[in-house]
Amino acid sequence: MEKNLLLEIINLHVEFTTEEGVVHAVKGINLQLFRGETLGIVGESGSGKSVSFLSVMQLIESPPGKIAEGKIIFHPESGKPVDLLALSEKEIQQYRGNDVAMIFQEPMTSLNPVYRCGFQVDEAILLHRGVSKEVAKAQTLELFEKVQLPDPERIYKSFPHQLSGGQKQRVMIAMAMSCNPEILIADEPTTALDVTVQKKILALMGDLKKELNASIIFITHDLGVIAEIADRVAVMYRGLIVEKGKVEDIFMQPQHPYTKSLLACRPPMDYRLNQLPVVADFMDISTDKNGEEMMIEKAASIQDIDRIQKITKEDSLKRIAELTKQAPLLEVKNLSCWFTTKKDFLGRPKAYVKAVDNVSFNVYPGETLGLVGESGCGKTTLGRVILRLLPARSGEVFYRGKDLMLLEKQEMMALRKKIQIIFQDPYASLNPRMTIGQAIMEPMTVHRIYNTPSERRTWVLDLLEKVGLKANHFNRYPHEFSGGQRQRICIARALALKPEFIICDESVSALDVSVQAQVLNLLLDLRESFQLSYIFISHDLSVVKFMSDRMLVMNQGKIVERGASDDIYHHPKNVYTQNLISAIPQAKNFVR
Amino acid sequence: MLNYILKKIGYGLIVLIMVVCIVSTIISLAPVDPAELTFGNRYDEETVKAKREALGLDKGIFTQLWMYLRDISPIAILADHAENKAKYNYTRLLPLGERALVFKAPYLRESFQSGRRVSEILGEAIPLTAILALTSIFLAAIIGIALGIIAALRPNTFFDNFAITISVLGYSVPSYVSAMILALIFGFFLSEYTGLNVQGSLVVLDDFGEEKYVWKNLILPAIALGIRPVAIITQLTRSAMLDVLSQDYIRTAKAKGLPKRTVVIKHALRNALNPVATAISGWFAALLAGAFFVENVFNFKGLGDVAVNALLSFDIPVVLGAVVFTAVLFVLVNIMVDILYVFLDPRVAVS
Repeated sequence: MEKNLLLEIINLHVEFTTEEGVVHAVKGINLQLFRGETLGIVGESGSGKSVSFLSVMQLIESPPGKIAEGKIIFHPESGKPVDLLALSEKEIQQYRGNDVAMIFQEPMTSLNPVYRCGFQVDEAILLHRGVSKEVAKAQTLELFEKVQLPDPERIYKSFPHQLSGGQKQRVMIAMAMSCNPEILIADEPTTALDVTVQKKILALMGDLKKELNASIIFITHDLGVIAEIADRVAVMYRGLIVEKGKVEDIFMQPQHPYTKSLLACRPPMDYRLNQLPVVADFMDISTDKNGEEMMIEKAASIQDIDRIQKITKEDSLKRIAELTKQAPLLEVKNLSCWFTTKKDFLGRPKAYVKAVDNVSFNVYPGETLGLVGESGCGKTTLGRVILRLLPARSGEVFYRGKDLMLLEKQEMMALRKKIQIIFQDPYASLNPRMTIGQAIMEPMTVHRIYNTPSERRTWVLDLLEKVGLKANHFNRYPHEFSGGQRQRICIARALALKPEFIICDESVSALDVSVQAQVLNLLLDLRESFQLSYIFISHDLSVVKFMSDRMLVMNQGKIVERGASDDIYHHPKNVYTQNLISAIPQAKNFVR
Repeated sequence: MLNYILKKIGYGLIVLIMVVCIVSTIISLAPVDPAELTFGNRYDEETVKAKREALGLDKGIFTQLWMYLRDISPIAILADHAENKAKYNYTRLLPLGERALVFKAPYLRESFQSGRRVSEILGEAIPLTAILALTSIFLAAIIGIALGIIAALRPNTFFDNFAITISVLGYSVPSYVSAMILALIFGFFLSEYTGLNVQGSLVVLDDFGEEKYVWKNLILPAIALGIRPVAIITQLTRSAMLDVLSQDYIRTAKAKGLPKRTVVIKHALRNALNPVATAISGWFAALLAGAFFVENVFNFKGLGDVAVNALLSFDIPVVLGAVVFTAVLFVLVNIMVDILYVFLDPRVAVS
């Protein structure tokens, strides 16, 4: 065993100096990586998982970051073990990209936009291998072939913006693999990709690992992905490793309450729950008398949590039957929206992309209609066309019998407060210069909800509590809040106008699974207490299935399948839907 | 690409015509009679009247404008006779009876003061200004980009704050003020040590009437003109670099094992250059157009000096000529920058 040791992290502490003081991002972790294995690292954002492994390559921005303590011993195949943290900037450059390579989360931004893809891979080969340019190019093309990029010669000459996300990630993998590294650190390499692309990339990484005999450290917030790829797992929480072990042990017999909650908070595929469990159901955090943090276990499994119940298939079908008996709230008929892709010399359109192509469906009062599809399928466009944020090419949208497409400006204005939208990115959709209170009150002022500012204020304070925030958040600014809290603020802002109907456009996609569970629960609670109806748009079929009564599957602007959510999941008829479902990473092998 | 360039040139032409219209309207509103100016203090009514007619000053303002536009346009329809031939020196493209469609160099008319052709006057001044502008923008770009990079690599340190403070100061001082200060200090108080003059042009006539280049006369004007561009370029480079250095692809470049210098110069700077290129080209065009007051302060016989003197003596053809030249220059530099963007950043779509 000792002989196969590849990397040892010993008592690693990492600190960040911020305006509020020193933050301990990593509080003494110990970990070993063995030759030929894939080690999965799981944790939510802020758990210190990325920081720990950026330290391996000394890639932490310093200042503000600082490795306070610890050793990272690398045992190369030939030669003496080295402490990577003790190396100078010059010395570590020999190891970066050569012995230890990295793949990052955002393929969109991880390649330099002004250089061709081929050049960026050549660069690493030229640097570490000392070969001629021609040899480097030949090796790069070979790598492109290996990572299954179509037409390597074309990709070699392309700029990053000319490739899709999956292709860019393949280029990144080729770059990381270019010098046959012994260790490959993959930091959330598939989080930004569609599930079907994710599946292919995971398969590719598995194949390459075998072929090149490398070891992989795979960092992610999603346990489902870990189940697909890892041999061993370490679970990180608040800068500590709370549990580590073989992947089947982690899934079959999780010991730590945090691991249990992580396993439970992802929407289940095989059955239906009324609510999702969250971390707080499983454990409490308190400080003991020495000021040390303690985690106290509360529930051992989902069965111990009272508020969570399974919904039987009969119950959910009954609910759908009752909902669809009513007059529809929203009727969409033959709606189309085309974008011009080419114009002739006089600016007349020559070619179109049919983002929404002849789509019809109904939404009934009190219902959640799910809309699922991969990026580029037109689901976001559809949401925006309904709200008239984008012009429709043809078709009708009736809201309570009124055709939205024909409404005058003022009538539309009046209807806008009834129909709200919650966007994907909680970071970009709040104005950083407005306090939370101002942000929520602004649309109320525009739409004249309540007559006086003090009445509005009372309502906003009420709303803040309803979405799980505190009244004293009213005067704070967005940067003081986490992603999950910001999404709650966005939800409160949408609710401020007392809408009847909300379009949630990828509203939880940017959030960690544990935070996602909380926000989904909130949306479900609000549906009951405010009698809302939703269109819930997401690329994640498991989330859509959990949230929706009925579901539409969209591909290339068309609706390819529709029906009760559970039906579609269990008996998909369309090939596209089947692919989408089989690509969802799940711990299928480890059913307890 | 060709379509893109043609479109930009089209917009540029519209800008040029509007500039000529606005400037000539303003000048024609000035309470002077150019015909009188031509003859100085002694003239009689008849000659002035004849001159007025020759200059077209008796016609309406729109007719005058039209005539000027026709004079500066390279392609025009003119009466085809010997007098015009001598005046415009045109090539006939298509005879149209008594008139002809012709191709010619833009005719900028003649100076009221000296009677010389405006194109000739400008032709003498422009090379001097061009050398001055090139020198100062070159210095400014090198110093500004270097300072900006160093400041961005050490954000919020003493050097960074120092560089920012100095550049704010440098930008706030008008260049003719710094010109005078420089001239006083280095050309007067310290001239024993520096050997520089308070005033002097690049080309001077020596005792034998021969033209002679005095390169040291370039130093002070180039520095005086360069101070404000340096300030702007430093700040823009710094903020663009700070932005770029926090990008993911910089981390990728470091993770490849590239040395810091390569990461900064090759991966970061290249991405940060877009706003900097805009600033450099804008200032370059402005400097080429004649740094009016600075040239005047140093008595540097460039375009600025010519234009200021012409303005003071209401030598309208020269002023208009300088303005037209400047406008053409700005339009050209802008088109070049637009094309440069396509090469600097492949994401700029050519459509």
